[in-house]
Amino acid sequence: MKPRAPRRKDDRGHWWTGGGVERAVIRIVRRLSPGFARRKITRRTRLHDDLGWDEWYVLRVAKPVRSTLHEALDDRALLSLRTVGDLVDRVWNAMDAPA
Amino acid sequence: MKAALGSCLLLAAAAGSAIAQQADAGHRWDLLVGHSYSSARALMQPATLTLEKVRGSPLYSVVDVGAVARGSVSARTWLEMGLRARAGSARPESQQVYGAMARAYRELDPVLLAVGGEYQTDGAFGTHALDATAELTPLGGLPGLGTWVSPDLHLRWRPWIGVAAGDGVVPYARLSADWVQGRLEAGVEETAWLVTGSGRSFVKGDVSLKLVEGIFLTASGELGRSPPTWENTGRIGLGLGFRLAP
Repeated sequence: MKPRAPRRKDDRGHWWTGGGVERAVIRIVRRLSPGFARRKITRRTRLHDDLGWDEWYVLRVAKPVRSTLHEALDDRALLSLRTVGDLVDRVWNAMDAPA
Repeated sequence: MKAALGSCLLLAAAAGSAIAQQADAGHRWDLLVGHSYSSARALMQPATLTLEKVRGSPLYSVVDVGAVARGSVSARTWLEMGLRARAGSARPESQQVYGAMARAYRELDPVLLAVGGEYQTDGAFGTHALDATAELTPLGGLPGLGTWVSPDLHLRWRPWIGVAAGDGVVPYARLSADWVQGRLEAGVEETAWLVTGSGRSFVKGDVSLKLVEGIFLTASGELGRSPPTWENTGRIGLGLGFRLAP
């Protein structure tokens, strides 16, 4: 029997898997980077070097993360993110693990 | 030369503490070192130290360096505190600038608001300016605003509008643009002020070749009038650039 993927709860009480969070974050990043091929955006994609986001553009993820994943991320921490994977991990770590 | 040494010490101390902070994954404060803290663009432009030697005269230096420490206040608000120097023995004292500032940012998607205070003085400590500033930039939304124009054209731009209140109220606008291709980076930043009914502007640009991570060969130039003295300046220089960001 396949083990069940670990799940975590967002601030509205919705349950997410790590894969679900990753897909949702990649969708948000893709929407903010028009012109970039869909499959080019992965966990390893660098926000500044590969997508060209400047220091302040990264703050645009805060609002869709709040509305889609129901997590309020610290803006100052967003400024030091390097990759899409860092953002996925930041959102996942902000969610509540089951007791 | 004293100014150059002081700036180098600031740079070395900043680098040391940044490395120490980066080792601590749970740190609450980041330290950034760049050309100046006057804007995000200036902070991302490498700090430069240029030494000039002309036969029969002493060794001259030109330094442009700024350091900013950044920490959280709340989820959508954070603080920056910084020091900067535009100095060196090759610059007349009237064209040297030393400054210190504290600035608070608030993300109000779709815009970012920055409110702060800055003290500036010239090299002779004869002219002092203490200003409060408030400025706004849109986070994005137009092609190339804050992000590359396209995957093939690595060009981006960012506008700011603001007002400085000190010795009078001075509205200003700033526009910066960056282009990156491989190890080569180029940038230009223009600031325009409306001072007692007349316009003043200052433009600076740089072209940098990355030698190793954080170290650049940098050609830079500047032209125009900038606070606190509004003296007309213009120079072109070539030097070693240094940038540190978390």
